[in-house]
Amino acid sequence: MWKDKYRVGVELIDQQHQELFGRVSEFLRTVQSEGDWQQKLAKVKETLEFMQEYVIVHFEAEEALQRETNFPEYEEHKAAHDDLKQTVAEYTNFFETEGYVEDKVQELGAKLMTWLIMHVAVADQKIGVHLLEQEGANNEG
Amino acid sequence: MKAEYINPFFKATVDVFRIMLDLEVERGKLGVAEDLAPSKDASAVIGITGDLSGSILYSFPQDMVLEMVRIMSGMSLTKMDSFVGSALGEVANIISGNAMTNLSATQYLCDIVPPQVLIGKTASLSMATEKALVLPVITSIGDFEITISLRENK
Repeated sequence: MWKDKYRVGVELIDQQHQELFGRVSEFLRTVQSEGDWQQKLAKVKETLEFMQEYVIVHFEAEEALQRETNFPEYEEHKAAHDDLKQTVAEYTNFFETEGYVEDKVQELGAKLMTWLIMHVAVADQKIGVHLLEQEGANNEG
Repeated sequence: MKAEYINPFFKATVDVFRIMLDLEVERGKLGVAEDLAPSKDASAVIGITGDLSGSILYSFPQDMVLEMVRIMSGMSLTKMDSFVGSALGEVANIISGNAMTNLSATQYLCDIVPPQVLIGKTASLSMATEKALVLPVITSIGDFEITISLRENK
């Protein structure tokens, strides 16, 4: 899933994005893997949790970096993160109460994949631009 | 229906295809349809409310959808399952969302209703009160159609 064009130019963020894409990809591959749904369910749950954990770790690190560097679109960016966390929470609540219905798990996978691509390829790129501008201003000062 | 509604959707398609799929798109010759009918294998319909109201139908050949999802996921897919269908709905959702942003620049404020995905060439979805415009979009992995049926509420 990861492509070099998604790089933001900040090592910590790029490294975390690659990890996050890796975990989402692992979740998608598990859901799509051949075999009986009930039999692969344990692995589906495991990769879903593994991915979810890292979403939190990464969003916190990215938001902390934005605060430290006075990123002007912090509030808007955090709202996008909160929305995604909310979406994932709604799905996991559904899974826990109604069961891990395959179609719903597939739907979450598709949402995560498309959200992540758009978010990293558009919104996150602005972090890199902001840091470059800041560096330029510091060098001039 | 005004042809000026077309450009915000075409621009959004160009942007989203470039960002998500690394594909360049070209527009074909604009056509007219009597109603909103899926013309190809897999479609996503998005409702529009606000200053403009109506529906947008994105209709794709199956091979093209499978290839789009392969480009995004890195996985080879052979059938139209719920993952592929949902991904198609999300792409249509993102294009429409971007089109709403483009439309707001021309003073039309609208919202979108979450996508409905249709597999197969089903019957017409609705008789449009006015004729719908059909925008063919040409790409290197296949051609698809965006049917736009909107009326002004302002």
